[in-house]
Amino acid sequence: MSGYRFDRLKILVVDDNQHMRKLVAAILQAFGVTHITEASNGVRALAAMREDCPDAIILDWMMDEMNGIEFTKEVRMSKTSPNPYVPIIMLTGHTSADCVQQARDAGVNEFLAKPVSVKAMLSRLTAVIENPRPFVRAEGYFGPCRRRRNSDEYTGPERRSEAAGESMWVTIKSGDER
Amino acid sequence: MTNQKPIEIFTPPNILKAKVGCAGIGIDSAALQRAEAVMEDLKSEFAAWMNADIAKLGYSRDAYAAHPGVGTKGQLFRASHDLKGQALTFEHPVVARMAASLCKLLDGTPNTPLLLIDAHVNAIRILVRQNVRDESDPTTNAVAAELEAQVRELQAA
Repeated sequence: MSGYRFDRLKILVVDDNQHMRKLVAAILQAFGVTHITEASNGVRALAAMREDCPDAIILDWMMDEMNGIEFTKEVRMSKTSPNPYVPIIMLTGHTSADCVQQARDAGVNEFLAKPVSVKAMLSRLTAVIENPRPFVRAEGYFGPCRRRRNSDEYTGPERRSEAAGESMWVTIKSGDER
Repeated sequence: MTNQKPIEIFTPPNILKAKVGCAGIGIDSAALQRAEAVMEDLKSEFAAWMNADIAKLGYSRDAYAAHPGVGTKGQLFRASHDLKGQALTFEHPVVARMAASLCKLLDGTPNTPLLLIDAHVNAIRILVRQNVRDESDPTTNAVAAELEAQVRELQAA
């Protein structure tokens, strides 16, 4: 297998722990990523985004000043966001179902639980390349679709319409139509 | 029609795919092997990294003991939460277990007794100092179980 041209990617690693940043950056370099920027919290990450325009972000949850959830909401929802579409992979020790749901609701693309595993990291990176979720623009939310990827497999209730308790309309567009 | 809530679903251009090209089917095994080798090399630094995290936990504990409050408690929670995630990565599963118990203690109890915080912090220090990593060690298990039981008891009260 020839592999991806990871050397063409710019990745921003956001974690308040310098050792974790070093570890993640070393793994990304081994994948072939040459352009890696680091930030220690959400505020600095936003500044790094404006300066460096990363193609993807690997993000910790718990940080001072602006945590990972607040940062993700800022990236997705703010009118001044440098790139509301940037793929965000959350790497965290918060692994309960509630936390995963909270991260999804903020607009995270992929969730990666600590301990850091090389295979899991490559798998999530591959997922945002090969299987990007469609985006949803709705009242109170902008970000990757929070439904399962293979929506045909989903047999549960239609929460999106039931939660609203009201009628709604949906438009589906391709990237070219936007 | 006044109650209609517009929801737009669309597919943004796949910029990542355009940049990295195609890798074939499945995981890029060469990239995986390179990264596994790097991870092995980095393991020599894990002990120093753990010590730095333990020192941070100690400073945070001291700050909370000197000035108990929301800020210092939050700082101590973040230090223990960091340790919970990092310790697993740095191959200290028992430390991760005790750090998780400390997180529960700090997150779930309004009046957190310093004695129980110290019991966690001191146990973690000893585990790292003596390089105890065996999850099946009966003494370590007994200490971890007792700490968890104390936290549960306190939260149930």
